[in-house]
Amino acid sequence: MRRTEGVHKEVILFGYGKFGRHMYAQLSQSGYRVTLAVMQESNYQNAVEDGIEEIRRFNPKRNSSIKMLDIDPQKHLLYCAMDHTSSNLFLVLSLHELFHDAVIVAVSNSDENTRKLKYAGADTVIDIYEASAQHLVTNLTKPAVSEALNTIVFEKNDLKIAEIVLEPNTMLEKKYVSQIDFYSRGLILVAIIDKELGDELIYIGKGVDHKFDGGDTLILAGRSNDILAFRKELSGA
Amino acid sequence: MPKSIDSKSNNVIVTTIVKFAYLVKASVRYQKLKGFFYDLLENDQYRYKRWFDIFMIFIILSSVLILVIDVKKTLPDWLEDYDIYFVTSIFITEYLLRMWVYSDVHKMVIRLSEESQYLHQHLSLYRLLGVIIRDKWQYVISPAALVDLIAILPSYRQIRVLRILVLFRAFKMLRYARSLSSFLFILKSKKFELVTLLTLTAFFVFIAGIMLYVFEGDGDNKNITNLFDAFYWALVTISTVGYGDISPVTPEGRVVSMLIIITGVGLIAFMTSIIVSSFSERLVELREDRVMQEVGKKRHVIVICGFGVMGKKVAQGLLDEGSELIIVERDEEIAQQAHNSGYRSICADATKSAVFERIGIAERISQVLCLTSEDEQNAFIAINVKSLNPDVKVTARCSDKEIAEKLHYAGIDDVVIPEEITAMMGVVHAGEPVAFEALRSIVAHKGETHIDEVRVKTGGALENRHVEDLKSKAFRLIILGIVRPDEKGRKMFLFNPDDGTSLHSGDDLVFMGHPTAIAHFKQKVQP
Repeated sequence: MRRTEGVHKEVILFGYGKFGRHMYAQLSQSGYRVTLAVMQESNYQNAVEDGIEEIRRFNPKRNSSIKMLDIDPQKHLLYCAMDHTSSNLFLVLSLHELFHDAVIVAVSNSDENTRKLKYAGADTVIDIYEASAQHLVTNLTKPAVSEALNTIVFEKNDLKIAEIVLEPNTMLEKKYVSQIDFYSRGLILVAIIDKELGDELIYIGKGVDHKFDGGDTLILAGRSNDILAFRKELSGA
Repeated sequence: MPKSIDSKSNNVIVTTIVKFAYLVKASVRYQKLKGFFYDLLENDQYRYKRWFDIFMIFIILSSVLILVIDVKKTLPDWLEDYDIYFVTSIFITEYLLRMWVYSDVHKMVIRLSEESQYLHQHLSLYRLLGVIIRDKWQYVISPAALVDLIAILPSYRQIRVLRILVLFRAFKMLRYARSLSSFLFILKSKKFELVTLLTLTAFFVFIAGIMLYVFEGDGDNKNITNLFDAFYWALVTISTVGYGDISPVTPEGRVVSMLIIITGVGLIAFMTSIIVSSFSERLVELREDRVMQEVGKKRHVIVICGFGVMGKKVAQGLLDEGSELIIVERDEEIAQQAHNSGYRSICADATKSAVFERIGIAERISQVLCLTSEDEQNAFIAINVKSLNPDVKVTARCSDKEIAEKLHYAGIDDVVIPEEITAMMGVVHAGEPVAFEALRSIVAHKGETHIDEVRVKTGGALENRHVEDLKSKAFRLIILGIVRPDEKGRKMFLFNPDDGTSLHSGDDLVFMGHPTAIAHFKQKVQP
């Protein structure tokens, strides 16, 4: 699993068709600075009509055209949401070739294309139908789970899911999960990535009493204030 | 004078019958009882009919077996009593019950009485009885009822010839074994072709038989002594069976034999092709009938309209969760694909009401998911379902918020916009990519931790329990929160509730954990 150190707040979104339009709306509403890169004239016109100011034209087949977008892999997240799979695939390939360190997220419409996009260099692929089907099935068969996930993950409130990378020698150093009372801090520890063991997620529900070390990543659910307080507690402030 | 007395007493009888008919009409118990027997005997979608059919098949087979054993061995008394009294009683009862549920006599009586009153006519007892008897007679002379009636007769063991009627008991199986009745149904659909073939065969047998008799019946062939022998030879030869007990001995007879063999092969091939083609023509229909029979026994069936990429994924997800579902797909090839993948599927246009009425929109459909790739089509299906039964929950897929608003306006319960859900996930990923992966894995049950829920029931193991009890190590669960309805019935999610929070009836507890831990917990609280 590819990890991103620090939080990107700038996104370069490729495509403004049926996928890109929704993606732009959600990202900009969530406070991300989004630069839109479009290939087709019609999409460009749609974006202008929708009042978007930061729009750039590009040609995915020309490296020079992509380079002119001033992509900074440390600063930008690259979202490939072009409607045509072939264009999206070619774009992912070009971006991966030009910016090895960039985090590339691509939208797919089938298992087969997900495989191809990953092979071409996408770090994360969101299968539009997989995600929607999962959402629908959870909604139908586990409505309370769906309600809980919507509240924590999607709705605009102070509940959120966050990841915290442990610095060396924090108060958690060499302590076990069972020794830390997350519940009383208003937090729920969902999973950990143990730096020593690689990039795989270790879920707390499995029941393994994990020992914290510097470099581990904690996946926590909680209210913004409680997460902030915990961050401060960790930094000793 | 006696005539007048007769007429008076007839009027009294008619009035009593009419009064009784109204009484029967008003009796809920009677209607329920009759409905029960109707379902048991005639309604293939009734859940207990299958058990009744199995019971009847057992009775028939045991009876046939007893009669076959009786040919060479002496039966023990108890077995004879079983066959004579028990089996016969069952058959007689079944026959009478079928006659009872065949039609509603009380409705006929009421209709005749009201007609007579309207026209100021006298309703005579003979007319009344005539109409009732005519109606029930229609049942008595129906082929299935005749088989039922004759199947009762072999019980009279004193008349040995009646034992041959045991075969009619085997015919009764047609009522209960659906595959047998399906076969007959298919043959019936090719009645014209089969009758033509039979006529043609009879013609060839007739001609060939006479020819052979003319050539060899005068003593040349000692095996042919009369016309019957010649016909018998012709039939055995044309059917390609050829026992060999009778064979032509003259060159003329052999020529006839050669011709009839060639004709026979052609006729057999013709018959095979008729049966095979009728099967392939009705295969989809038969499959769908079977699907309807299966679904008929279920409740809370989810109908998925459209088996495209999303329909497939949703169907798989729901099947994994143990939901009862049926796919309705317009494209025959895709419907067949769904069937080949193990789903119950029907090839039909979901914008038409017939398919939902066939599945049972009033009694067994709980949810309809409109998941085709076209917004208009989904809206059409959704409105079709809501207009048929507003209580059925409908979820429609669409591509735009404006369309979603229109669908909500039309009363559609839930709308899914795949592009929007993907965008929302994209936002989560932008902020917390690792958390995004963790959540995705948990929700999709891809990792070793799953997320689940359990409803707190009145008087159940969870009612009035404190959250603290559920956080114990014995359960090894992560309690995420409680979904609790507020005063207005809206669901609210209480995240990470305090240890002292107690659970109320109607709450949903949401938790995460290893599948084994979840199964253990659910078994403890919902045995």
